[in-house]
Amino acid sequence: MTEGATPLLAVRGITRHFAGKGPPVRAVEDVSFDIQRGEVLGVVGESGCGKSTLGRLALRLIEPTAGTVAFDGAELTTLAPRALRRFRRHMQMVFQDPFASLNPRMTVGDALIEAVRFHDRLGRAAARDRAAALLTQVGLSTEHLERYPRAFSGGQRQRIAIARALAPSPRFLVADEAVSALDVSIQAEVVNLLKSLQEEFGLALLFISHDLSVVEVISDRAMVLYLGRVMEIAPIDDLYSRPAHPYTVALLQAAPGGGKRGGDRLMLKGEIPSPSAPPSGCVFRTRCPFAIADCARDVPSLKAVRPGHLKACIRDDLTL
Amino acid sequence: MPEFDGQLPVLDVRDLKTFFPTDNGTVRAVNGVSFVVREGETLAIVGESGSGKSVTGLTIMRLLGRTGAEIAGGEIWLTRSDGGRVDLTQLPEASMARLRGSEIAMIFQDPMSSLNPVFPVGDQIAEPLRLHKGLSRRAARAAAIELLDMVGISDPAQRFDAFPHQLSGGMRQRIMIAIALACEPRLLIADEPTTALDVTVQAQIVALLRELQARRRMAMIFVTHDLHLVGDVADRVAVMYASQVVEEGRVADVLSRPAHPYTRALLSCIPRQQQGQPRRRMTPIPGTMPSALATPHGCRFHPRCAYAEDRCIPALPALEPIAPERTARCIRWREIWP
Repeated sequence: MTEGATPLLAVRGITRHFAGKGPPVRAVEDVSFDIQRGEVLGVVGESGCGKSTLGRLALRLIEPTAGTVAFDGAELTTLAPRALRRFRRHMQMVFQDPFASLNPRMTVGDALIEAVRFHDRLGRAAARDRAAALLTQVGLSTEHLERYPRAFSGGQRQRIAIARALAPSPRFLVADEAVSALDVSIQAEVVNLLKSLQEEFGLALLFISHDLSVVEVISDRAMVLYLGRVMEIAPIDDLYSRPAHPYTVALLQAAPGGGKRGGDRLMLKGEIPSPSAPPSGCVFRTRCPFAIADCARDVPSLKAVRPGHLKACIRDDLTL
Repeated sequence: MPEFDGQLPVLDVRDLKTFFPTDNGTVRAVNGVSFVVREGETLAIVGESGSGKSVTGLTIMRLLGRTGAEIAGGEIWLTRSDGGRVDLTQLPEASMARLRGSEIAMIFQDPMSSLNPVFPVGDQIAEPLRLHKGLSRRAARAAAIELLDMVGISDPAQRFDAFPHQLSGGMRQRIMIAIALACEPRLLIADEPTTALDVTVQAQIVALLRELQARRRMAMIFVTHDLHLVGDVADRVAVMYASQVVEEGRVADVLSRPAHPYTRALLSCIPRQQQGQPRRRMTPIPGTMPSALATPHGCRFHPRCAYAEDRCIPALPALEPIAPERTARCIRWREIWP
């Protein structure tokens, strides 16, 4: 995080609770981070950690309970709907399931033309040219314009979804488990595509995934979430080679092929507690093998371990 | 077929073929698959969607049922706990039903759809004990509570009466494992049992399966799409591509020195980042998995293979031994094996 220059996205204290029967579900709790222009920030965590809600909050697709999001210095959270719509073109999203996010009754060309004309007043011919250019950008060819989504494989559909997200030439993209439904050989294809688009257009990316190895390949920095809170945030190499939070260590070692088998592993007991009744103090303490009495008292704040590497853990005495 | 210390393997699958008749032609989902699984050993079957790995498991269990698929050839020899051998492809359904749950059992990816939502989980564990072992209601309950404890469920006596929806995904998979292991089967087939679980829970379930398997000297087939998980769970691995095994061997050997170009390509899709080295790109496999209705001539992988030559096209390569306990289906293995 460099001082001075305005980050492309500045999220401060963002919080979202969902009301239901009983106590509210605390999906995201007091999360702050910046994304610089052209930067890829990975978000990792297990189901229920709030990573998808966070992605939607960053685009203001849902309203926060508290906190602010500023895009290029402009406060999004208080923007009126019409003004917000002007910002939308700069911020797009790609979802997990390319089978559900494309209209089966629309040709790929029509879907792209619709996306292009939603943001720009272009004639039909000009919009079609733009749609063709978008398809080429994602590695498909213009002859695919006339086809329906069913004619494409999962990987190709995800390329089409990416092309549609690129239609208004956004500067920021949220990818929510964008490669998780794909076979590994196709995953690699789509990750490489995202990476090259990011390099070519200076696109900033919030890359949400439960898959640690994919996050490692694509991200410049990554943030680890647990029960709606940030446990650790660091440059990618630092996070993977010198993780400072016990949860990050456990997550990395639990990943298949993490290099440790059996007894040497930091194996977590139990499962994630309910987000409607998170533990007091550090939310991770009920599964943390290093928890002490003090961990139950206050919510640990993010402290710098080294420049740019922050962790939310009061145990500074651990060698992990 | 090599001999193993004079001891018969628990499962010996030979040239297995499972075909699905469809309106557009016959889908050869499993086409000439052979492998053995020994006592106390885990064989991982790894492959991408459509490779035939799950159908292989279902065929062994003879659970093809209403899918319309049929066993079109091959043998599946099971060595029963009494030492007798049976070919599962030849068994009448009634005899097969007696083996399911007692000699071979299976767990699936989604425990919610395998458990009956309207019965307490304890009753579902007790059922095979009453059915196969003829235990009384009371004895089965006691045994079920013991099994709940064995699979790491806390407060097993209380949890006996819980319904599936009251449990988390990880706990439901533990219940499925308890049901599968209730009658101490000789062989457990686990089809992507951890794919729907979070990584920290996946690690718990894998550790549990390994521990139980070692304690009971059970044979296990672990079907997965995740080549890295194979290293954590299995002793040997068979890599499947387009309905066939393309490589087989000890896990450490195959992962560190893959002999088949497909295994290599699969491993390089998700590179392990090496510390201090520049970040690498992921290397996708060019092209797409061939349709089961139109498999390529000769080597099935040749259209996507970086090492393919003209001589790969005329005939299907045999799965040939390349080292002790190591086979590969590639005519160029001598040139490309590191």
